[in-house]
Amino acid sequence: MSYWLQRLGAAIALLLAVSMLTFGAMNLLGDPLFNILGPSAGDTETEEGRQIIQAAKDEYNLDDPLPARYVQWAAGFVTGDFGVQFGLDGEPPVSDLIKERLPRTLTLLIMAQMMAVTLAIPWALFSASRADSAIDKVSTVTSFMFIALPSFALAVIMKYLFVIKFEIFPLIFNAADPLASRLWQMVLPAMVLALPAASVYQRLLRTDLITTLQEDYILTARSKGVSKRNVLFKHALRPSLFSFITIFAINTGALIGGALIVEQVFIIPGLGSAIVEAILREDFPVVLAIVMIVTAGFVVMNVLVDLIYSIIDPRVRAS
Amino acid sequence: MTAIDLSLRVEPGTPLLELENLRTHFKTERGLVRAVDGVTFTLNRGESLGIVGESGSGKTVLSRSIMGLLPSTAVNHGVVKFAGRDILGLSSKEMRHLWGAEMSMVFQNPLNSLNPLMKIGKQITEPLKLHLNMDKIDARDTALQLLRDVRIPEAERRLDQYPHELSGGMRQRVMIAIALACGPTLLFADEPTTALDVTVQAQILDLINEQRRNRNMSVILVTHDLGVVAGHTDQIAVMYGGKLVEYAPTKSLMRSIPRLEDPSHSRLATIPGRPPDLVNPPKGCNFAPRCLYAQPKCHVEEPSLTPAADPAHVYACWYPVGTPEFEKRDAELQETGYMPDDISAVS
Amino acid sequence: MTDETDVAPVVAPADETTTRKLGIGFWISVTWIAVVVLAALLAPWLPLKDPDANFIVPGERPPYSPNGTHWFGTDQDARDLFSRTIFGARISLTVGFVAIACGMVFGGALGILAGFFRGWWDRIISFVFLVLLSFPALVLAILITALLERSQRTISNTLGILSISPVGRVARATTISFADREFVLAARTLGAKNSRIIIRELLPNVLIPMGALALLGMAVAVVAEGGLAFLGLSVAKGSTWGKLILNGSGSRLLADSPWVAFAPILVLFITVLALNFAGDRLRSYFDVKETSL
Ligand SMILES: Nc1ncnc2c1ncn2[C@@H]1O[C@H](COP(=O)(O)OP(=O)(O)O)[C@@H](O)[C@H]1O
Ligand code: SF4
Ligand SMILES: [Mg+2]
Repeated sequence: MSYWLQRLGAAIALLLAVSMLTFGAMNLLGDPLFNILGPSAGDTETEEGRQIIQAAKDEYNLDDPLPARYVQWAAGFVTGDFGVQFGLDGEPPVSDLIKERLPRTLTLLIMAQMMAVTLAIPWALFSASRADSAIDKVSTVTSFMFIALPSFALAVIMKYLFVIKFEIFPLIFNAADPLASRLWQMVLPAMVLALPAASVYQRLLRTDLITTLQEDYILTARSKGVSKRNVLFKHALRPSLFSFITIFAINTGALIGGALIVEQVFIIPGLGSAIVEAILREDFPVVLAIVMIVTAGFVVMNVLVDLIYSIIDPRVRAS
Repeated sequence: MTAIDLSLRVEPGTPLLELENLRTHFKTERGLVRAVDGVTFTLNRGESLGIVGESGSGKTVLSRSIMGLLPSTAVNHGVVKFAGRDILGLSSKEMRHLWGAEMSMVFQNPLNSLNPLMKIGKQITEPLKLHLNMDKIDARDTALQLLRDVRIPEAERRLDQYPHELSGGMRQRVMIAIALACGPTLLFADEPTTALDVTVQAQILDLINEQRRNRNMSVILVTHDLGVVAGHTDQIAVMYGGKLVEYAPTKSLMRSIPRLEDPSHSRLATIPGRPPDLVNPPKGCNFAPRCLYAQPKCHVEEPSLTPAADPAHVYACWYPVGTPEFEKRDAELQETGYMPDDISAVS
Repeated sequence: MTDETDVAPVVAPADETTTRKLGIGFWISVTWIAVVVLAALLAPWLPLKDPDANFIVPGERPPYSPNGTHWFGTDQDARDLFSRTIFGARISLTVGFVAIACGMVFGGALGILAGFFRGWWDRIISFVFLVLLSFPALVLAILITALLERSQRTISNTLGILSISPVGRVARATTISFADREFVLAARTLGAKNSRIIIRELLPNVLIPMGALALLGMAVAVVAEGGLAFLGLSVAKGSTWGKLILNGSGSRLLADSPWVAFAPILVLFITVLALNFAGDRLRSYFDVKETSL
């Protein structure tokens, strides 16, 4: 119990540190006033200009010390108030943008991870049970290649093959399409993310499976007459999943980055294009919100890993 | 479905297990490791055999060769007959119907030989469902009975526990329960007590023996400790460097060994020196480089198994206890005080 | 006799010589890396076409497909892709190199401090590593590059900051494993100063596994630059591999003239593959644990 409290405390401390860093960087490196007012932020010559600046400062409490503004922003953030998009007319709330874009990126990520896992596990079982055979060597080379292939390069290659050459997938994601076809349009981008991820998982899982397969209890299982297949699935797989789960969580970070890029190639209006557009507009509340949401999700994900550990390992549960 | 007709297994007069010149070699980068190099013996149903030998002498490889549970780098030659059937060349798909059902194995380290992530109950019921087609409820009842048979207290509760919640001795009992589950005719116990507390060791051995009698099962007990098999098996086979160097009814062997640690006969004492190189075994008797009683002949010619006074007792040694050469050398050694124990102290 | 336990392995131990060899693949990789690095370094003095010149063939619309004069073909502005790829390597590799050097120096120093002094040092430094690792790498890069002007220095430093934690963690783990070894303890009991122990005894041992990481880290940095390019956040001026690939990846160009994207992709891919492979071999050669990364 106290272990879980400790874990929770650590996660919260981490989220605080991450958010302070992000907020601090945004405000110290960038110029919030400039964001709000654009070029007229520099207009201190005229009385009118000074008034506008003062009004903006008052409205957004820019004269408050940084910690006070952080507290204000953080309080808003946890209640889902991410501020407004300065760069757009009418200053619509950032949360509108997030509500529209986040589900797409999330779908892409979940789809990619699901594909990666469903590919990696059978692949790892297959290659580990034939460790060092010719086909295992081919599979090792294959996964090594996919790991070395950057997501943007793979995206371009896949786009060329499956969109342009074979015309299996449509080029453009259409937000107006029904759900099913929108999902279909995400399959190729998800595959771009999934293939290298699957390779990373397969590589790790294969190594761990090979280690597990040398354990005495695997011999016990075989000496009971359990079939090779069931030895793999029922006895070897679960004990081999630990580092896989850790890497799964860590790799989610890489996939988030990959997703932002792949969205650009396949023209999916998700968080990736949102952040790029916001940066071009110097719309920092948007950048801040996206960075924080994504990072918070990543931190939470890593905490969940501990939870999953304790589900699959009774020894952790006991302690 | 079954490749082997199990009904044939107890044809009267057929030994349960027959080995003829069994050799198991491993292909390695260093060369061919002759882990088991020509082992021959027979075992009848209900009998128990102790295989003794120092670590690395090939006991584990031997028992796994018989069961067919070796890594793919192993190459077998010779004959292994189980209930009259040649089983050496069988694929693991075919052997699977024997494993757990007809022959099963208890391993050395109960800490590693149970799946840490699977409940005890499931580990016991698995072979029951597999070989005896039991349903969940029957299997659970049988598992409970098995746990009681191996005298695990609070058996009911144990079914839902994980291995780490049990002591080493308890885990080994669970392992025995798993091995016994489908009523095998042959049980291998590979160093079943080595990893356990001394106080628990005898209990486990007694348990195995008791179950053997109750079930008319054969047992092959593998150990590096002659003391372990001495009181617990009918026959004793001594292994050295991949070969059987002595095979005898336990009583006969014990009678012929004046001192339990006598090196010449048993090659069991903690004698200085290393086990022979199994890739390039020494010429002649492969014990000669370490044998205090070795004569020139030993370095040239390999002794073969010859009967002793009791014809059921065979050994491979040119100069066993009682021969003039032995007595002479023994007297010399006594005189100089150059005894095995001293050597091990010096080395 | 009873204390003797049976430890004969069931599976043959991994043969020393197989893991203790770098192998032909390693040397092929190193050769490729050396060629690319040399070409990038010497690009201005090599007999290459001007990467920014437009080699328009009268009467024909660019891009031109690969041919005898333009080995990799040209882009839509009739610029020679071969020399553009080599010149692109200058920025991509420099960024990668500076990034990993920065990671080595700062990450290495912090990691050694944490591992050597333990206690509060360790707690604070480890927390900093953790915080940095809590950002998805590209997101942190976006954050920094979005705020600063997109010069080569900014990109290098950004990627350098990203490599601090992974490198630092290895340095810390290695330091801890060495700090209790006999030779360090011996130096301590002989009254050696901390600085002396760190520089003389620990640094050489920690540098080895970190060196193995350098190639892997460089690959990551080169890829990261490409990712930033696709978000429009790579260096504003000059061409990089990422920018070259991005340029060729527009649907029209990709459909009609795929070489514009595929030529730089091929070079980038082989280079990253070589860096990964060589780094991987070095890592297993020096037995750096994968999990400590
Ligand atoms: N898979 C294997 N590959 C190569 N050599 C092996 C393998 N398994 C066992 N050996 C070798 O065979 C010999 C006998 O081992 P083992 O049967 O385990 O001895 P023990 O009598 O202690 O049980 C040892 O020298 C061991 O190193
Ligand atoms: S044959 Fe010779 S070397 Fe071998 S055990 Fe007998 S006396 Fe010793
Ligand atoms: Mg053994």
